[in-house]
Amino acid sequence: MAEVQLIILMTSVALVIIGLYSAIFIDNIIKKIIGISFIEEGANLFIVAIGYKAGGVVPILMPNMDTSWFASNAAYPLPFGLVLTSIVIGASTLAVMLALVMVLYKKYGTLSTKVMLADTSKQEEYNE
Amino acid sequence: MNELIPLMVIVPLMAALLISAFSRFNTVTKIFAFVVAICLPIIPIASNYGLHYFGGYEPMLDNVTNVMFHPAITYSFTFLQQIFIAMVGLLTFLVIFIYLTEYKEVSGPYLFLLFLGTAAVTAMLLTDDIFHMFVFFEILALAQVGIVAASSISYSNEMALKYMILGSIGSPMMLLGIGFLLAMTGSVNITDIAAAVHNGLVDITSPVFLMSLALIFFGWLYASGLPPFHTIKSGIYSKAEPHGAALLQSFTVISMISIVLVMFRIYSTLPIFEVLIVFFSILAMILGVSLALTQTDFRRMIGFLAVGELGFIGLGIGLGTQYSITAGLFQALNEITITALLFIGFGAIVNATNEVDTRKLGGLLAYHPKVSIMLLIGGLAMAGVPPLSGFQSKLMLVQASLSCGYPEISILAIVVSIATFVVFVKTYYSMFLKPKPEDLDVEHKEVPRAMIFAMGILLIIVIAFGVYPDVVTDGIANFVGGIL
Amino acid sequence: MLELVLGIVIILSAILALIQKDLLKAAILTGFCGGAMAVLFQILLAPDVALTQAIVGAAIVPVFIALAVKKTQREDS
Repeated sequence: MAEVQLIILMTSVALVIIGLYSAIFIDNIIKKIIGISFIEEGANLFIVAIGYKAGGVVPILMPNMDTSWFASNAAYPLPFGLVLTSIVIGASTLAVMLALVMVLYKKYGTLSTKVMLADTSKQEEYNE
Repeated sequence: MNELIPLMVIVPLMAALLISAFSRFNTVTKIFAFVVAICLPIIPIASNYGLHYFGGYEPMLDNVTNVMFHPAITYSFTFLQQIFIAMVGLLTFLVIFIYLTEYKEVSGPYLFLLFLGTAAVTAMLLTDDIFHMFVFFEILALAQVGIVAASSISYSNEMALKYMILGSIGSPMMLLGIGFLLAMTGSVNITDIAAAVHNGLVDITSPVFLMSLALIFFGWLYASGLPPFHTIKSGIYSKAEPHGAALLQSFTVISMISIVLVMFRIYSTLPIFEVLIVFFSILAMILGVSLALTQTDFRRMIGFLAVGELGFIGLGIGLGTQYSITAGLFQALNEITITALLFIGFGAIVNATNEVDTRKLGGLLAYHPKVSIMLLIGGLAMAGVPPLSGFQSKLMLVQASLSCGYPEISILAIVVSIATFVVFVKTYYSMFLKPKPEDLDVEHKEVPRAMIFAMGILLIIVIAFGVYPDVVTDGIANFVGGIL
Repeated sequence: MLELVLGIVIILSAILALIQKDLLKAAILTGFCGGAMAVLFQILLAPDVALTQAIVGAAIVPVFIALAVKKTQREDS
């Protein structure tokens, strides 16, 4: 049953590559941000796959379970706890980025990165 | 008094939350922020050295493999952490003091960001848990973006968004690297990971291990603003308010040394690790100084010089001997004080003239004699002129690279120091000594007293470290002996 | 073979979200991607992560993006 983990790893690698591609090559800023959130999700998926155990059980100890059986069969819960934090961090980063985009849209009236985030030192010279 | 160790993080964090919740009451907010800011440097000085286990879970011995492991998030507090946290606390106090005296109506969210950043770097220094460090690394990135976006300088929002986009590419990379380490060792505690690597439980030549190094290294380059991120880093310094920039550069230096010390403990058995660090540090030194030479905006000039100085820190750590790492960490401590002094001083000039172009300035020595003399001493300290603190740490670095058998690196370090001196003196001449241009109207505005006070305190520290470097270097050398 | 189907759904919706001309559709497809990932987390024996991801990835993130699109412009020109 290593197949499950293999499929998950392929999915996460594909997500990271899609995200990196969009972060570098796509011009629209909102799509760029969506792509960046895919990188984050790919990393999360990878870390959850570390804790997975083929044929295991959910790592929650029920009252009627045998402790030694549980210890040898449960999935590894530490990565799950880490991913919980990183999902929330990803959502908050996304919110801050979108807020900045909304402020900048009022100024420029476009979502194009080439216009919005052109080299700022050149912009200053242009204004002078 | 080990209960004080978690308080170093909890006090600024709680203060940040309370201030942003009750920012409607202006006077109360001011008094509260001032009191908390005074507490920040006092807590680390009053605390004893030791370890703190969150939840009280002591380290346990695994009977099967006979290895100690740490179930709890652990904070370790030694001399190194004490001196750096006290320095950041002092700097936060000075910055908040300047901010509170400058404005009648204070903004709660801005104070929130300043305290949040301080809490984040404190936790990054203290923690012995690599995921805990990642979480505060993200919080620090958010706080930095907020500080830049809150400034009134034009194009600050664009710069903040750029930094944020780069950051949200860099931090998932670091998370993936942590994931690789977790997959190989089954732990996120740095002591456990280092023990597993040194006891041969992990195959250090495996591609997975090298990949984790590459990914965490990428995150480190982003956090510390070494090339290829040097342009964006100096950009955010120049777009933040001057006192904000003084704090931002201290955040950068501390996140740099805390991540690099973690990487050093885990990857020091790989020979390529030290080569990588030395390579990027030398690149940063050369690029920082040569780009600083071409700038006309003096805030940007200082930003690039600060990036160049970061190269010296990396160089000391990359050489990998006890003496060189001590020199690198001492250089980090000096850079925090000196660059903060320069940012605050140049910020005072911006305040008084509303002009940042060095070509349009001149003759300011007659108008602001105190500021200009303090700035001169700060700049000389950065360039490494005796008997100031920058000289002591750079001398140690040159000696360390000589004794490692790399005379080329020491020659390069001296050349970069001289170039720093040239850049600074050129800017200083065109701002303060050259005759005043006709069209420059210097408003007879006083420099705020709080700024003079802050610069005076930082100057005293610079001179004290220059005359008595042993006070700090002995303690740091002991710490470095512990991790080697 | 549920995980294979879900993986294909995730990758397809991610690619589709990035080639849409209409940004609102892109936001909805992001929600698809997050929701499929929540089910995948459940298969990977992590029900607590699946709950969080179902709320954050399938509801909160698309709503944030849709709000940003509403305040700016809908077409990707």
